[in-house]
Amino acid sequence: MKLMYDLPADDKAAFDAAVGSDEKLMYCLPFTIYENKFVKGYMAFTNKTMYKLLEGKLLGTWPIIGSSDFKTEVMYGCCGFYAKVDGATTLICQFVSGRDLPRYAVIVKACEILNEQKDEKSPTPITNSTPERFCPVCNRPYINATTICPYCMDKKEIYKKLFAMTKGIRLMMSFPFLVAVFSVIFQFVVPYIEGQAIDKYINPSSGIHGPMSGFIAIVIAIVSIDLFQRALGVLQGRFSAIAGNKFTLMLKTVLYEKLQSLSLSSIQRRTTGDLMGRVNSDTSVMQGFVTNQLPTYFIQIVTFFISLPVLAFMNWKMCLFIFVPIPLVVLITSKVWDFVRNRNRKLWVLSTRTGYLLHDILNGIRVVKGFGMEEYEIERFKESSIKSSNQSESNAKVFDTIFPLLGLLIRIGSYFILLYGYMMIFRGKMELGFLHQINSYANMVYAPLMYITFIPRNISNFLTSASKVFEILEEEPDVQDIGLPLDISIEGEIDVKNITFGYESYNPVLENVSVRIEPGEMIGIVGHSGSGKSTLINLIMRLYDVNEGAIMIDDVNIKDISQTALRSQMGVVLQETFLFSGTVQDNIRYSKPFATEEEVIRAARAANAHDFIINLPEGYNTLVGEKGYSMSGGERQRIAIARAIIHDPKILILDEATASLDTETEKLIQDALTKLVKNRTTLAIAHRLSTLRNADKLLVLDHGRVAEFGTHSELLALKGIYWKLVMAQRKMSQDVERTQAEKHSEKQTAAAAAK
Amino acid sequence: MADKDNNKNEKNLSSEETKDKEKKLSAEEADNEKTSDGSKKEEKAESKSSDDKADKKAGIDDDKELLQEDDAGDLILEHRRESIPLNRENAKFTRSKGNLISLDLTNPDGTTEFFERVVIMRAFPISNPDEFLSIREPDAKRKGRGNEIGMIRRMTDFDDETQKLFLEELDRRYFSPKLMKIISVKDKFGYLYWDAETSSGNVTFIMNNPFSNIRVLDDGRIIMHDIDGNVFEIPEPEKLDSQSYKKIEIYL
Repeated sequence: MKLMYDLPADDKAAFDAAVGSDEKLMYCLPFTIYENKFVKGYMAFTNKTMYKLLEGKLLGTWPIIGSSDFKTEVMYGCCGFYAKVDGATTLICQFVSGRDLPRYAVIVKACEILNEQKDEKSPTPITNSTPERFCPVCNRPYINATTICPYCMDKKEIYKKLFAMTKGIRLMMSFPFLVAVFSVIFQFVVPYIEGQAIDKYINPSSGIHGPMSGFIAIVIAIVSIDLFQRALGVLQGRFSAIAGNKFTLMLKTVLYEKLQSLSLSSIQRRTTGDLMGRVNSDTSVMQGFVTNQLPTYFIQIVTFFISLPVLAFMNWKMCLFIFVPIPLVVLITSKVWDFVRNRNRKLWVLSTRTGYLLHDILNGIRVVKGFGMEEYEIERFKESSIKSSNQSESNAKVFDTIFPLLGLLIRIGSYFILLYGYMMIFRGKMELGFLHQINSYANMVYAPLMYITFIPRNISNFLTSASKVFEILEEEPDVQDIGLPLDISIEGEIDVKNITFGYESYNPVLENVSVRIEPGEMIGIVGHSGSGKSTLINLIMRLYDVNEGAIMIDDVNIKDISQTALRSQMGVVLQETFLFSGTVQDNIRYSKPFATEEEVIRAARAANAHDFIINLPEGYNTLVGEKGYSMSGGERQRIAIARAIIHDPKILILDEATASLDTETEKLIQDALTKLVKNRTTLAIAHRLSTLRNADKLLVLDHGRVAEFGTHSELLALKGIYWKLVMAQRKMSQDVERTQAEKHSEKQTAAAAAK
Repeated sequence: MADKDNNKNEKNLSSEETKDKEKKLSAEEADNEKTSDGSKKEEKAESKSSDDKADKKAGIDDDKELLQEDDAGDLILEHRRESIPLNRENAKFTRSKGNLISLDLTNPDGTTEFFERVVIMRAFPISNPDEFLSIREPDAKRKGRGNEIGMIRRMTDFDDETQKLFLEELDRRYFSPKLMKIISVKDKFGYLYWDAETSSGNVTFIMNNPFSNIRVLDDGRIIMHDIDGNVFEIPEPEKLDSQSYKKIEIYL
């Protein structure tokens, strides 16, 4: 993210005049609102002071050192940057939320750091790796969730890359173009032959009809050209279907492979919908463009540009008649299409609104019924439906008027030609066949005009899709294997050496964390949210790379182990269990697809899942996931545990695996886990401390640092954070018991009173 | 059973509140500012409260309470205050040293509090901007939305000077320039690029999905949101010049 904008010359002069000699410019950001007006001013932050500059004037200075409570506040339509200067909270500047809020949020942190390091001789500005949402060149927004600017992208580059991707199917893909060439040629030849037929055989101006055989030859020629063209059409259809599907298949595969190889952080930066869109719809758009639209445009454009000289050569006056109205036709067609599109969009909006409403009401049907609002909802739905049906009706009426008129317009060239042509024929200066020929060419010129207004939009859609696809294909994964990664088999010793890690460089989530875990030990990780528990586990799984320090497994740095080898020897049970669509069996043997039935049952037994699975009507063949049998949280969790067991991992990770379950289910799962953790290095995060009663050692994290590490009794003796947590939870369960007892005795008294 | 638990929690909270209020008052007397230590406390309380949201366990409040008794420095229960109606009698608003709003408050129990800065928010910014104003403590970690000190029923409950002060701050906080003329609207790559004259100067802004970002209110006003978070208002669309109206009409 850009934190150092260039000051314009006049602001720079004002800044230079005001700044002290021992100050260093650290950050410079724009502000956009001043005294309720839109402005373009700048805030300059040195290591000591902030300067507010607007149009060459210094509006104010405030000290950074000594000030406190730096913060941003989101208001309505704008944001403010505040600081407490000399004990008075002051609004330093106001700006537009979307663009600059993230920048000022970093500056808040930066000002705090400057205050901490006020004695530092040469402070260095902090950096921020959050990607920009706006193109630095033209300041327009990037395409959603990408770093592609549709205005500034290199279009040639995309065509080049695309061409490189068509390797192997080029011959097939070029076929439509070949057909296009033929079809253009025939388009010109057929009217010529027809013209000849009219002039020589049907209605010769000389009054002498040509021999019958010549006429038959012409008819045969026309028929065979037609047949040939149809045959080519069939072939073209087949070839483009084959080439198109091959192209998409290849594109989808490459894209999907790449997606799988990207690190978790690059995936999580994007939404599932966005990624799905790229794999599905963007590749389809690319296919459609390459195999359908491109040949069509090719035909249209070639026809258009060939007919121009041909017509000019045949009769330049008529050629003028045809071409003069073209700009008008193009203009009107594009206006009409805009109009049609807007009306269609309106209809679309209205019908989606009706759809949303229906979705809303059906989802909240219990609320609707509960409050007796059925009548009101019926009215609301009716109103919305009426609106969209009215729009649909009016659209149909308007379109049925417009399109015939548009057709008329597109034939406008023909009218001119016919008018001029008949005049010429009456004067005996032109043959009828010649007029027919020219008229046919005129229609050929006008037909592509229908398409012309679509071409830019379709090309831009294609370019957008293509650049989105290429963005993924060219992304470098953050976590990469080294040149020759090791495929070791893990014993389970984990040595975390002095690691520091933050998702943002200036904001470490873990600082100087060192833990040594012996093989087969179970470690419970405790601490409140934000203390870095899950981050530590993500680092051990190498979903991210540490910034400093190293994580060693069996004395090998995990960066040297291949990611596949590493993760295939780890098992994870998460709080939110995800079951894939498929059978119970498929889900259990997910990480070991060729596991035998015995293995599946053994794993399910170990996870205390066997009994409930057997009781399902279809046993292990029951479908689960989105379309199948819906399982309770405890059942899902036990399947997830079975999934981890079958895999027989050396290192097991339990990330709040039992947090969302009731006590009874937790008991069952506890038992399952006890079996599971035997002889494996286990790392377990848990809020409920009872989950960790089997842990050999406990690791207490506090604000990204190791606060306490040791056995249960050691930590209790310490009377530190762990002790407090234990006491708190004990008290809680006592309270629960007490209230239950109270309730019980109340009931008894009530019963006694009733008696 | 769950209901019972909740009741109990509430009871705990109210006792917490008074305790906290007392603490706060004594702190205020000593120094009208939060010490750096104090703000740190708040920070921790905040992280703990998000913790709570994460696991929605009713019982966690109890352990926090217990912990607080042991060590107030670590995890304290976030204090909540009772919101009171504010009027001329119990609230005196003045311009703060930082050109924002300060408040001298007399609590119902007769104690007084001074707030170096309060934040003023509208409950109905669009439909009823001058009534139901919420006066809140600033809170750095919640983007300026701290605890509610009290509510003002009508702005006119206060004298002209105070009303002026309110309006000045509200105009700053609620920045929605009025659109007076639309110079051009261009539709490119799924975004609308607007060029317009507003009551706050000429602007160009970018909008996506115009059908959800242009909102027509029941009284005919139009509210527009752009992708950057700008808000524009057209108070009387029918009074726009016909060229401007034509440009926006297709999105209504």
